[in-house]
Amino acid sequence: MRILVVEDEPKVANALSGGLTAERYDVRVASTGEEAFFLVNEDSFDLVLLDLMLPRRDGLEILAALRKRGVHTPVLILTAKDTVEDRVQGLDSGADDYLVKPFAFPELLARVRALLRRGRTEQPLKLRHDDLEMDLVTRKVARGAQVLELTGKEYEILEYLMRHQGRVVSREMLAHDVWQVSARATPLDNVIDVTIARLRRKVDDTSAKKLIRTIRGVGFVLGGEMR
Amino acid sequence: MTPLLRSVRMRLTLWHAAVLTVIVCAFSAGIFFFVRVRLFDDLDAHLGRDLATIEATYREAPTELSEAESRAGIKLFEVTERNGVLYRTEEWAQRGLDRSVRSDSATTSSWRSPDGQTYRVLVAPYPTHRISLAADETALHRTLWTLGVILALGIPCAMALAIAGGWFLAGRVLAPVGAMAERARRITADSLGERLPIENPDDEFGGLATVFNETLARLQDSFERLRRFTADASHELRTPLTAMRSVGEVALHDSLDPAAYRDVIGSMLEEVERLTALVESLLTLTRVDSRRTQLAREVVDLGTIAANATEHLRVLADEKEQTLRVEADDAVSVECDPALLRQGVVNLVDNAIKYTQRNGNIRVAVRMLRSGEAAIEVKDDGPGIARIHHERIFERFYRVDSGRSRSDGGLGLGLAIARSTVEANGGRIEVESEEGRGSVFRILLPSRS
Repeated sequence: MRILVVEDEPKVANALSGGLTAERYDVRVASTGEEAFFLVNEDSFDLVLLDLMLPRRDGLEILAALRKRGVHTPVLILTAKDTVEDRVQGLDSGADDYLVKPFAFPELLARVRALLRRGRTEQPLKLRHDDLEMDLVTRKVARGAQVLELTGKEYEILEYLMRHQGRVVSREMLAHDVWQVSARATPLDNVIDVTIARLRRKVDDTSAKKLIRTIRGVGFVLGGEMR
Repeated sequence: MTPLLRSVRMRLTLWHAAVLTVIVCAFSAGIFFFVRVRLFDDLDAHLGRDLATIEATYREAPTELSEAESRAGIKLFEVTERNGVLYRTEEWAQRGLDRSVRSDSATTSSWRSPDGQTYRVLVAPYPTHRISLAADETALHRTLWTLGVILALGIPCAMALAIAGGWFLAGRVLAPVGAMAERARRITADSLGERLPIENPDDEFGGLATVFNETLARLQDSFERLRRFTADASHELRTPLTAMRSVGEVALHDSLDPAAYRDVIGSMLEEVERLTALVESLLTLTRVDSRRTQLAREVVDLGTIAANATEHLRVLADEKEQTLRVEADDAVSVECDPALLRQGVVNLVDNAIKYTQRNGNIRVAVRMLRSGEAAIEVKDDGPGIARIHHERIFERFYRVDSGRSRSDGGLGLGLAIARSTVEANGGRIEVESEEGRGSVFRILLPSRS
């Protein structure tokens, strides 16, 4: 999978490039709009990460020009502007998704995967990790022989973690996808932490092997080893 | 408009002069016509008296009519009978006045002779005879002409005086405006403490200056708050930055094992989260305050919003084994932006949970007040808030206990955001509390009815 990162700030570009390469993506970096335009025309990419505030040519301009030329590569916009109007303008110009800076890297990865997966979604009936099993039809959750009684939010969080198993899930992702809150109000972080703590008690307290781990300062992960 | 006409002083002066001119002209015309009528009346009365003299003479002795000319000094008359002129003065004949009499009816009229002289001619017919007499109008016209000249010369002089006087008076009246403008021009963001001078607070200019001064006071106040806010915000940003910096520097100095490095990076990321949350809260506050976000206007049930916000935070209360109850009257509906209002309620409930002790009680009540306002009350039996804090508790970064700020006190923006969201929805927020007796935070909104 080839990804083009259009970002003029070298530190951010390096971090993005490094992080995505570690996830085994093939990454090219363009630091100006012209360069990005040239590379997209020259080469084929599966995804473009586009910063909006670029020197000389604005990111939205590049995007509109690409779409006008019939380039349908998915585009994920990265920007510090986050008003509703900005979002609408971005999506109107032909972007497929919109991520506000500063973003959590796990969230970026999740969005990237979602965009690349687009069009070929599989709907499993059951999710499984180690001896933890979740039946998406009956909403029954069991660890080994032990059936777990979960509240609605606990169930949704666990489902989210299992769907992203082995990968870090940030608080922003949970706020956005489980609580459906786009602007993060501060109290929500506490709610997330408490709900996770309760979920963990139910899932992990009776077993020696702990499945849900907290990655300090980043988020939570179900299973998987840290790289 | 030319620059000169743009000055209020000039316009005031011209208006003043124009009005005065109209008045003087009307007054002069009145005088002129009054005098004219009076002069003609006098002349006619004179002619009447002469007529009586001639008539009396005619009745007593028609042959004595020359006496009337010589003794009474009546120079211009004639008396005619059916068969011709009985008597005619010499001057009557000389001046050709017989041509002025063109009818046999009784008339008094002015007649202009071919040589340009005007006469007042009175014709008095009797059954047996007719008396015609005349008076020269020259003196009368001269008088009127003189009067006309005096008035015609006087009006421009009066106008000139009016303009000069008006200019002077307008200048005196407008002098305070100039002084105010001069002072106002010197007031900048740095000298908002200055005030305009007020000579007389009861007149219009004094009123204007008072209003201007009040505006200045409000401006000064908001500038002051903005300054304090910027200072506070910088301080709040500095704290996590300092933590990140020192943690990073210390870690770089020592050789650590991977787990320890991970711990250091995690600690730094925590500070980043804190910074992110702070910036997001500030942005939220700024947007709500500047009304940059379009407010949705929906009719919603306040009970639903309260219940929804409370359920959202119930896990936090459960964790502290607090009772969290919602009591809502039926159908208390308000028109508001539900998402925004909900955020305000969430912040109040979160605050109550945070500051109330383990096993405490929190009650969220939705009621319709007798005043016609809809109210959401968040009541707790926590430690309460001393009265001195009530006024400032909704200010940004204000903390009742500055010592406990970082670890569990949050960002110090929760109540400020709550107030902004409520005010953006046209409501207000108040606090009722005493130390040791719990607190009540109350959101009041205009109800829909």
